[in-house]
Amino acid sequence: MDVIETTTTRSGPVPSIRAEEKKRITPKRPRDYVAWAVAIAIVAGLVWTAVTNEKYRWPVVFSYFTTQTILNGLLVTLLLTAASMGLGTLMGLVLAVMRMSHQRPVSGLAQLYITFFRGTPVLVQLVFWFNIAALYPNLSIGIPFTDISTPVNVNAIMTPMTAAIVGLTLNQAAYMSEIIRGGFASVSRGQHEAAESLGMSGFTKLRHVIIPQTMPAIIPATGNQVIGMLKETSLVSVLGVADLLQSAQAIYARTYQTIPLLIVASLWYLIMTLVLSVPQSMIERRFSRSTRTRLTPAATSAEPGAGQLVPPTRESLL
Amino acid sequence: MNPDGTIVARKLCKSFGRHQVLRDIDLTVAAGEISCIIGPSGSGKSTLLRCINGLETVDRGVLKVNGEDFGYVEKDDAYHAVRPKRLAEQRARIGMVFQQFNLFPNMTAESNVMSGPVLVQKKDRVACRERAQELLASVGLSGCGHKYPAQLSGGQQQRVAIARALAMEPTIMLFDEPTSALDPERVGEVLAVMRDLAGNGMTMLLVTHEMAFAREVADEVLFMDEGIAVERGDAREVLANPREKRTQAFLERVL
Ligand SMILES: Nc1ncnc2c1ncn2[C@@H]1O[C@H](COP(=O)(O)OP(=O)(O)O)[C@@H](O)[C@H]1O
Ligand SMILES: [Mg+2]
Repeated sequence: MDVIETTTTRSGPVPSIRAEEKKRITPKRPRDYVAWAVAIAIVAGLVWTAVTNEKYRWPVVFSYFTTQTILNGLLVTLLLTAASMGLGTLMGLVLAVMRMSHQRPVSGLAQLYITFFRGTPVLVQLVFWFNIAALYPNLSIGIPFTDISTPVNVNAIMTPMTAAIVGLTLNQAAYMSEIIRGGFASVSRGQHEAAESLGMSGFTKLRHVIIPQTMPAIIPATGNQVIGMLKETSLVSVLGVADLLQSAQAIYARTYQTIPLLIVASLWYLIMTLVLSVPQSMIERRFSRSTRTRLTPAATSAEPGAGQLVPPTRESLL
Repeated sequence: MNPDGTIVARKLCKSFGRHQVLRDIDLTVAAGEISCIIGPSGSGKSTLLRCINGLETVDRGVLKVNGEDFGYVEKDDAYHAVRPKRLAEQRARIGMVFQQFNLFPNMTAESNVMSGPVLVQKKDRVACRERAQELLASVGLSGCGHKYPAQLSGGQQQRVAIARALAMEPTIMLFDEPTSALDPERVGEVLAVMRDLAGNGMTMLLVTHEMAFAREVADEVLFMDEGIAVERGDAREVLANPREKRTQAFLERVL
């Protein structure tokens, strides 16, 4: 720095530092300022209307924000999300295994399931399950080829809550199975071959070699599904399940405070998705850094530690 | 005579759909012998190697490894596929080294080397760890045991892969172009390990394009073209004075 100063004072316009040492500057372009101006204008406009438009009734929003009905609805929404995610993942795993089977009838059946449940709207599926008694009024649950069986009145067990869980679970299973299958597809053939050539059994190979490598693909995608499911549960309000949205609707049906209560529900959904997105983005960052699975010659012949990070799923069992 | 470390193939055939990849291949590797398979790409070299450790199934012909029918038992008029457990046992005695290394990226180098003995042979973990460290040292990688494959160079990864195969105490080592995916300056370190192994009397069957290495260590050379074993014989002899036209043409191109 002082080199610059001494040279400038001494020799005026003569170049003060050597060309090799000069900083390189990219001038800001007009569009950079325009983008900022537009963004600020939009946000300011939104805030302005939210504050000045009386009909938002913010005091009403705050007064209902933590009422018992809303909190109960919140709990139902969370339970629905957890139940259908958990069951859907288990069932998705079964479907994925079926889908990957070399036996055509088995994989075909799974394919059929996935096509059907991904090809029809969840809302329709939910209403369908709620009305399933119209198709099968009585079911008989029992052990085949024995006399042990109990008749079940479908109408009685298919409560709105059951229909909601069944509908969301069956739908989620179709999506989860594709995610799980994708995870397995991301592991190269060579990994299977290496494990098999060591004499590993199918189970050992899956447990110690393949499944740990599927996780970087499966876990972040599953996180996205959880967030999606949280919002999707709002569809069950059409069945009359007292979830967050339905609770808000129940209140405004009495008080006619439609907008403020929809704001209450939206804020809660927003809070929950934001809370969930924190671990989600941590997981994503952790897994997206991996340089693994398919090892290209270029990547593998790189110098040791040349910008390559430690793979995230560590096998600590050995 | 102890048949360990021997490979015998007679009239081995293999097709993928309508495309016949191996046509009546005959091959004998004696215990402790080093055999090289050479030939243009697509000639079926990898497929032959993969048949010998069960990564591909053989359509027809005889295949005996370590003196036993491999993957099948002969009964009456047919060969019957063995149960997966039996196949795994047979495979465990054959070491395989792949062109793309195929190290398990979720395990450290040491865990990769231990994976066979611990998970397959159910050996004691502590003893296996010690043995893994010895093996890593023998391939010049002492001190790299805690590193993950992604932190190792290609040459280092391939040496770990060799150590991993050796940890199973195989009677035979198969190498499928072990240096083809490496940077040129990394080839030497892998060949050095293989040279050591050859010196210690391991039966080796290797597909390679390193003709100088083949001439140096191999006892026998098999030249394959379009699924046919075109020429087979003493390594120096075949490489220096090939009898067949196709072998001559191939060697002219690669040398
Ligand atoms: N799994 C497979 N399915 C179909 N064709 C294959 C398969 N593996 C190899 N082939 C074919 O078999 C032939 C021989 O392949 P390969 O044994 O890999 O040759 P090389 O190792 O000598 O280059 C090639 O034409 C290749 O396309
Ligand atoms: Mg090949």
